[in-house]
Amino acid sequence: MRATGTLMAPRGRRPVLLLLRRRLGSWLLGLGGLALAALTWQLLSLALASSIFPTFSAAVADAWSIVTGPVLTADLVPSVLRTAVGFSLSGVAGIIIGLAVGYYRLLRELTSALFDFFRSLPTPLLVPVFIVLFGLGGTMVVAVIVTAAIWPVLINTANGTAGLDPTMLDTARVCGLRGPSLLGRVILPAVSPQIFAGLRVAISVSLAVMVVAEILGGSSGIGYFINNAQQAFQITDSYAGILLLCVLGWLFDSLFLLVERRLLAWQRGTVGGEGDA
Amino acid sequence: MPDLPENAMRSEVAVESENAVRSEDGLPPREDSVLSVRRLAMTLTSRDGVSTEVTADVSLELGRREFVSIVGPSGSGKTTLLRAAAGLRRPTRGEVRFEGQPLADVVPGISVVFQEYNKSLFPWMSIGSNVAMGARRLPKEQRATRVEAALAEVGLTGFASRYPFELSGGMQQRAALARAMVSDPKVLMMDEPFASVDALTRGHLEDVVARLWEHSTCAALLVTHDVGEAVYLSDRVLVLSARPSRVLAEIAVGLPRPRTQRETRQTPRFAELSAEVLDYVEQAGRASGLGSPGAAPAAPG
Ligand SMILES: Nc1ncnc2c1ncn2[C@@H]1O[C@H](COP(=O)(O)OP(=O)(O)OP(=O)(O)O)[C@@H](O)[C@H]1O
Ligand SMILES: [Mg+2]
Repeated sequence: MRATGTLMAPRGRRPVLLLLRRRLGSWLLGLGGLALAALTWQLLSLALASSIFPTFSAAVADAWSIVTGPVLTADLVPSVLRTAVGFSLSGVAGIIIGLAVGYYRLLRELTSALFDFFRSLPTPLLVPVFIVLFGLGGTMVVAVIVTAAIWPVLINTANGTAGLDPTMLDTARVCGLRGPSLLGRVILPAVSPQIFAGLRVAISVSLAVMVVAEILGGSSGIGYFINNAQQAFQITDSYAGILLLCVLGWLFDSLFLLVERRLLAWQRGTVGGEGDA
Repeated sequence: MPDLPENAMRSEVAVESENAVRSEDGLPPREDSVLSVRRLAMTLTSRDGVSTEVTADVSLELGRREFVSIVGPSGSGKTTLLRAAAGLRRPTRGEVRFEGQPLADVVPGISVVFQEYNKSLFPWMSIGSNVAMGARRLPKEQRATRVEAALAEVGLTGFASRYPFELSGGMQQRAALARAMVSDPKVLMMDEPFASVDALTRGHLEDVVARLWEHSTCAALLVTHDVGEAVYLSDRVLVLSARPSRVLAEIAVGLPRPRTQRETRQTPRFAELSAEVLDYVEQAGRASGLGSPGAAPAAPG
């Protein structure tokens, strides 16, 4: 009895510890990689001593002054809001249309060529059109984001829905699930892994497209700021802007993964094994 | 399609008359039928437009308290038949009646446990929520106690808050059984419910099903590959021919109940019945081996 007791106790705890250590380990390694890149940047810029290549420390200092200065509310916050709104709209519209297109085969066949056509339009080409439609400003940027970021969500949701297991749907029907309860309790959760995969791509697309739209036709925003800095030869400012953009992307993605990990906890077991980020 | 006479093989079906009726209720099952499938034909069309006649002509009657198994070669349309019998698919020809009424959609009185447990439980719901899905048509205040009782009946007390991936295959399938039985159905349909578990678990699950069925008031329709399992559990065994399927034979089992793995399977009668069913299954398999796949054989049987 005692022997099994002492054997069992560490066996129960060890995976958690191991996991924690692995998490912490990979996190530290990631940090190490970043530090290495920063160091390379710093040394390279010091060695070259070029006016168009500021040091890492100068860029960071400049970024800090941006975050604590007036540029925060003038450019950074609007960009974050536009990205958030554009991403959210893309997500909601992409999921709704994707579900409908995935569920109804006729609709899928009707729209597939149309969607392929729109999907392959290069986003920068749309900016002038949207400037005419919405003017120079936030609405235009949001519209451009939606036209680009909706596709990964829509296509993933549609594929996931079309590929739903008939046995699973039959099981739901036998339980008396139909209409909204079928959608909410079975279809959405079943497709959620694909939806989340699409949403994650949509985040990076949203950020990238936000910058492009602001460069081409913005009157404010981080893209506008970077573009202005470059044209005014304020090189350190432009590097600082790019640095801030990277941090923004990392923040969005981390926040997203946090939500995903909570909502898709059930999936860890079915996939088998702990997925590392 | 010429109008075929009643399945030719049906005439030589050996029905042991004295054993054909379940001893405890003493009712002839045919007269007290809860589910009847009449001359069912199913032609399925795949996405690329290819039609296959899966089921040619299948009739079966399920008595109120009867346990009937369906065996047949792989691809003979057993799952298709079960789906039609559950009201999940419209028959191409023929009809399904449940309690005397034509069946056009799923009904509360029919529960189904599907072939793959990993697909039939919803992985994003706890075991308790999964079982509660089967109790949706019950009054709200009854649900919690019924779910608990159903879990207890399959030996899963205390697992309500676990998730499917935390359970073994056998436990998952027991949870699927609990979900099917929680609504106290009139007919329990099972499609190879034990196909993906090991032999030991399988025997145990067979007894779980036998006990569930004995304790309930439902009829059971079981699809299985395992001849021994069919004989062990059933009052009658139907053997389907290869695709397009017909009823090749119908064997009344009539072994006394309650049955136990150790004793029932040792009896000479069990061996005899199993051999008989196996003969028909092999006959069906040979027919499918000779015929070209997809094409209807020239002559049935
Ligand atoms: N949706 C469908 N469209 C076209 N053909 C189908 C469809 N579903 C099944 N089939 C075909 O119907 C035949 C019978 O399938 P079914 O699953 O009913 O057989 P089964 O007897 O249950 O087989 P198994 O023992 O392997 O489970 C198979 O040949 C299959 O290819
Ligand atoms: Mg099958």
